[in-house]
Amino acid sequence: MSPKHVEAMYDVVIVGAGAAGLSAALGLAHSPEFAERRAMGEDPAVLVISKLQPLRSHTGSAEGGIAASLGNVEHDDWHWHYYDTVKGGDWLVDQDAARLLAQEAPATVINLERMGVAFSRTEDGHIAQRRFGGHTADFGQQPVKRAAYAADRIGHQILHSLWQQCVAAGIEFAEEWYVTDLVVDEACAKVEGVVAFDTHTGTVHAVHARNVMLATGGAGRLFHTTSNSWDLTGDGMALSLDAGLQLEDTEFVQFHPTGLAHTGILLSEAARAEGGVLRNAEGEAFMERYAPGHADLAARDVVSRAIRSETDAGRGVPDPRDPLGRKDCVWLDMRGIDAGHMHQVLPQVVETIHKYMNLDPTTDLVPVKPTAHYTMGGIPVTTDGEVYRWADDRRAVIDGLFAAGECSCVSVHGANRLGGNSLLDACLFGTRAGHALAARLADAAPADTTGDDRVDAAAERRRTEVADLLAAAKDADPQSDTQPDDNPYLLMADLGSLMETALAVHCDADSIAAAVAAIEADIAPRAAALHPHNETAAFNQELTAIWEVRHLIALASAMLRTSEARHESRGSLCRSDFPERDDERFLAHSMTDAAGRISWQPVRIEDMPPQARSY
Amino acid sequence: MSGGTNNETTTVTLRVHRFTPRAERERDRARASSPFARKSSPFGGDSARRRPRGKQWVQDYTIAARPEDTVLDCLLTIKRTVDPTLAFRYSCGHGLCGSDAVAINGTPTLLCTATVADWAKPDAPATDEEGFRHTGEADDADAPAGGQPDGCLGVIELAALPGFPVQRDLIADIDPMLEQIKKLKPYLQADGVLATTDDGKVDVFEYLQRPEQLARYELLSNCIACGVCEGSCPVFAGGEAFIGPAALIAASRFINDSRDTAAAERLDAIDTADGIAACQSVRACTRECPRGIDVGEEIWQLIAQVKER
Repeated sequence: MSPKHVEAMYDVVIVGAGAAGLSAALGLAHSPEFAERRAMGEDPAVLVISKLQPLRSHTGSAEGGIAASLGNVEHDDWHWHYYDTVKGGDWLVDQDAARLLAQEAPATVINLERMGVAFSRTEDGHIAQRRFGGHTADFGQQPVKRAAYAADRIGHQILHSLWQQCVAAGIEFAEEWYVTDLVVDEACAKVEGVVAFDTHTGTVHAVHARNVMLATGGAGRLFHTTSNSWDLTGDGMALSLDAGLQLEDTEFVQFHPTGLAHTGILLSEAARAEGGVLRNAEGEAFMERYAPGHADLAARDVVSRAIRSETDAGRGVPDPRDPLGRKDCVWLDMRGIDAGHMHQVLPQVVETIHKYMNLDPTTDLVPVKPTAHYTMGGIPVTTDGEVYRWADDRRAVIDGLFAAGECSCVSVHGANRLGGNSLLDACLFGTRAGHALAARLADAAPADTTGDDRVDAAAERRRTEVADLLAAAKDADPQSDTQPDDNPYLLMADLGSLMETALAVHCDADSIAAAVAAIEADIAPRAAALHPHNETAAFNQELTAIWEVRHLIALASAMLRTSEARHESRGSLCRSDFPERDDERFLAHSMTDAAGRISWQPVRIEDMPPQARSY
Repeated sequence: MSGGTNNETTTVTLRVHRFTPRAERERDRARASSPFARKSSPFGGDSARRRPRGKQWVQDYTIAARPEDTVLDCLLTIKRTVDPTLAFRYSCGHGLCGSDAVAINGTPTLLCTATVADWAKPDAPATDEEGFRHTGEADDADAPAGGQPDGCLGVIELAALPGFPVQRDLIADIDPMLEQIKKLKPYLQADGVLATTDDGKVDVFEYLQRPEQLARYELLSNCIACGVCEGSCPVFAGGEAFIGPAALIAASRFINDSRDTAAAERLDAIDTADGIAACQSVRACTRECPRGIDVGEEIWQLIAQVKER
């Protein structure tokens, strides 16, 4: 759907329609302030812009669960969840945010249930919960069942229920519109709107807004092997960089231990929570050696590194589709799980293994390898979702600009995210951002029309660019070219291979430097020279793919820069040339911008001083 | 996810029904100069919007591929290495997002779950000289049919999802389906007020629902709104007025949810000529459902429930 017309000024524009964006829209629409404005006969102008139809958002692929200390199955306490989250993030977590996350988690999950999510249930009808890696009772003593789940389709359930409630609330969507620019004022102090490209018609729209929220998700497509959908190209993060803002902790990317070999498709952590065990080529259940007591349910970064250590030591197995290739996989052994139980609680995992590997996990070993899964870093935000810049040792909030979900960094995940905390982060801080947006509805000052209209100017620049790109397409006929010419899909694949070699699971100064050089010499010039090969603007996917790959390259550069600057190993960042954690120098968030500057923001330690992190 | 690069390279031919809409500007000009332009038409003109004009053609792409590759893998290889202009929706790539429903060899299904092995067929005319449809032989898979080069796995024909207006190449406008789903109030209507999230205090609790109550609608709640059932339905895809199987499944999901209090209104809403009465119980909707929902049976149950009221 597209809006019938674009309003002259929106109260709120939300970019992205996954768990965070939809939660914000509902937090706003269900607020007393919203109702008040409606009662006065002034419907707030709200628009959710998404490059996908909302039901296609990647939230729908989340499988395992959403963490909350409901205590429905075993005694639990939010303090324990708070501790686990801080420890899981290797003490790079802002503790004020993590405390809120743990405290408000039960209410968030119950709210989702009341919005229609078909959670799996206990016999007496409460929301069922399962174990998940890194979630413990009594401050790390033993595993606890904290992840609320819906078989292994929790993301699908949450996405659809949120969308359904948006239908009920009459939220307006601009679907398959791609946001090309975030516009802030000259001083980077206030948001003015966005520029959006309607892919259906090829029209560029100037969208003026008093408040803008970014909820565009992660950037897994930076890597060749990823669990992320093809649309996770880090758009919101790149838009922020382009607008002159900063990104926080971009060097931290989680590699999920169990990507299905060959494809990188995620096999939920629930597979191990329900009894699956990782084995090396010799059949050894090696995780007990790396994380005694926690074994296969240690935090994800620990398990991914253990897999890499095993394969580096020659105890890996090859991808069965490429039997002579690198032995970079290990076995996931689910044969110990009762077959009936497996089909009941892990139907999606069973189906994926069958469909994409033609194996039966009740009898076959399944080849898995670490797959790029989640960006812990992102657009820096306060616990109310306000985007800020770190300048002169303080947070300077950009008036009217918000972010939530994977594209943001409120820093509850620190250097490594725990399973079950991403949906929680997106729903909880998305809702909080929605409330903060609602609070701003009242002071809807008349638009300042004195200065230049920066949104119109940005839109005009995009129109010119689109026209130029399409004009270049006229001269290019992919069928007649003797020499196949470059295109954004090829470039994205090349970038993915490059980044995988440089940063996946572990890295060092040399691997980073090689990638920086390759981007400068090859990738960036190719990106600048790209043009589409057909001049029709409507549904010209190649045009949006050009913007996407340029976004990815901007992010890749930021990520390489901050990975280089952090001379330590912490959480998901494993630098083989700096193997130890260094709290003295690096108990701080990296803050980087498009100009390549890096500053360091101290971590907010409130209740728990850093300790050694062992599982 | 790329196409095959083994020594023993096999190939597949994708025969794609393509469509490029005429540029917006040309259409605007045509509209302005014509006395029969949409804006002045007394007959609404919705169908004019739904059927954009443009260029149609069929294009063959022969690429290296392995039998186990998905059709989506093949199309992405084409985008990367042969023709970046080919348009099709895709996102998660493993059957969960529902964006890539198209017609493969005429059958609505998802690009990312269809494999070359399952769908490639010999490149032969659709009917023989007596007009009978060719049904294939047991050894078709490995014996190349007459005239086909060695290692060719066959031909896969692709077109946009039937029943919906084509927007470009394999992209169809599925908004009519989403509008019909929305018409039936596809959201939980329970008796309690929505929970508030103040200070993380849990002073309200979830609605209780026992596992056997969940089991009555859980499968239905897995619908990904891909439109495969709609494209398979001869009534819906044939252009008759019918709210469509996807909207009925969405309604049934809530009718069978013990937390929902609006079952009676929901049954009323579908008890219309364009609602369940339009279903002819062909049950083609069931066959390719990627979530394994027996759509035809569910609609049959709805018909029974409406009658029993």
